[in-house]
Amino acid sequence: MVKRIASPKVFGLAAILVMLLCWQCASRQGPKALGPSGVRPSELLAQKPPQPAPKLAGSGDAARRAVIEFLAWAGASTPPQREEARREIAAAAGNRDVVQALCDEITAARTTDHSRALLGLSVLGEMRSPHALAYLKDFIHIPMPPPGRLIEGEDPQQTALATLQGKAVSGLAYMNTAESNTEVFWAVAKHESRIVRAEAIRTYLANHQNSSEAKATLRKYVRKGEEVFLDRPNRDSGDRAEIFNRKLDEYLRAHPELAPPAPERGSGASEPGKAYDFNRAPPRF
Amino acid sequence: MKTGVILTGEILALAMLGTLTYGLCLQTGASQADRDLWNTHGCWQEYFLWQYQAYDMNGNDWSNRGWNDACNVNLEYPKHWNAAYLVTYGLVDNNDQSFHGTIDYRAAAEAASSNFHNHFIHQISDDNNFFGQFIPPDKLITDCPLYDPAATNSNPASRAGDFMHESWHAWMLKYNWNNGSAGGHRPCNNNPDGSCTLGACSFNGCDYFYFHGVSKYVFGAMWENDGTANRFHSPNQVQVEFLCDVADQPQSWVPNTVRLRATADANARSAARFINGPGYSCGSFRPW
Repeated sequence: MVKRIASPKVFGLAAILVMLLCWQCASRQGPKALGPSGVRPSELLAQKPPQPAPKLAGSGDAARRAVIEFLAWAGASTPPQREEARREIAAAAGNRDVVQALCDEITAARTTDHSRALLGLSVLGEMRSPHALAYLKDFIHIPMPPPGRLIEGEDPQQTALATLQGKAVSGLAYMNTAESNTEVFWAVAKHESRIVRAEAIRTYLANHQNSSEAKATLRKYVRKGEEVFLDRPNRDSGDRAEIFNRKLDEYLRAHPELAPPAPERGSGASEPGKAYDFNRAPPRF
Repeated sequence: MKTGVILTGEILALAMLGTLTYGLCLQTGASQADRDLWNTHGCWQEYFLWQYQAYDMNGNDWSNRGWNDACNVNLEYPKHWNAAYLVTYGLVDNNDQSFHGTIDYRAAAEAASSNFHNHFIHQISDDNNFFGQFIPPDKLITDCPLYDPAATNSNPASRAGDFMHESWHAWMLKYNWNNGSAGGHRPCNNNPDGSCTLGACSFNGCDYFYFHGVSKYVFGAMWENDGTANRFHSPNQVQVEFLCDVADQPQSWVPNTVRLRATADANARSAARFINGPGYSCGSFRPW
């Protein structure tokens, strides 16, 4: 039997309708995955008890392997493991090969994984190793890249380097030797990034219990117009409201010029728009 | 007439095909911070099947970006829900120590209309000139610099911080506040030495910091304002306060890389983005 073929126009219309339906269907379908986990994170975490810190030790290739293994552990480590990590890091301070391997990892990560470079600098700074001093010094002196493409008014390459240099300068401040503090003072006065200058001030003061002597020392180096950073409150982990609020009150009393003006009205509020009241509770952790 | 209908349909269909997105962000990997957080949930299906609805996301906006491969952390959609996971579960909500609670940060980031903002959807764009954008009336868009593995802000804390920032533009719109003409912020002034500053702000896109103590907003009340500078938030401030809460008030399982990046992002932003800055800083002074 031979059927009559529908006209091309009808056929085209049908094809378009199918496409539209497919498009609608695709937009409504939820995400899919291969091999998702059906286990709640609380169960997953219970199945994986915290691992002890691997040893940061060895020489040559063994030191390099130890650093890679330690960084993998350290990145995933949790707040309750903080002191364990600090002990392991401090124990490696005298190992030149470990320090060198760590510096190599930081250098390699600088342009490929910012979070890993930050992690490496945090380990190196915490080590307070005399072998790390030269690397940290050189690191904060890396010149800012020339101005490039801006993202929301910010040069992302410059911010990337500045946040890493902020971590490096915190290591120098924590080292707290005459030589390392000379570099911190240089950063307070001369570093071209405000982000690094701010971290140099914050961490130097904290390493000296925010004493008036430490503030007087920094006052000799701090840039004109940036003296306010000497009084800036830091919310430390564990600060209760009473403690933090006192610090904030003192800051605002000392610097009434920080009071912001009243907010400005816009040209018209938005209409409520589409009602969307999805309010199902998230799955139990 | 029939030809006209077909032609219109064809144009419509082509236009819809044109709206399909193709992954142009770098999909070659994920930062260690993303991977470390990811390993705490192991790609929890029940969560992402909730998350896409809570954030009102749809497959056409996120096709070729992991919508159909939601366990591949190298792709944009999995990175998006990884950040949302941090918002949903990652904070301890200590009334005596946190700036705000999960209830605030969730309401800000999620799509549903509430006291925090009118409804919006979460989309993605390949525009490399933004971290994120709020396009009125209802689009919260995140961009490649939050997903490209080497980028500074390509980590769960900074990405979630951007959810807060962009959602606060939606808050400003809902309550009719004007925060400035530079993408919803105050523009800086060009100086003879080539720098661009406004007060203590050294970027083009500055906010005021409306300082408030801890426990001054009960959890759930971050949206409140009294029309004065005494009770108000700017987008960068909400972002800093969220990042500080990740840094100082995380759940016991939140990985170190996530907390380190939250601290660095909060303190860099707080030092450089505020006209009446610096805002408060947070996190340990020790490198580790």
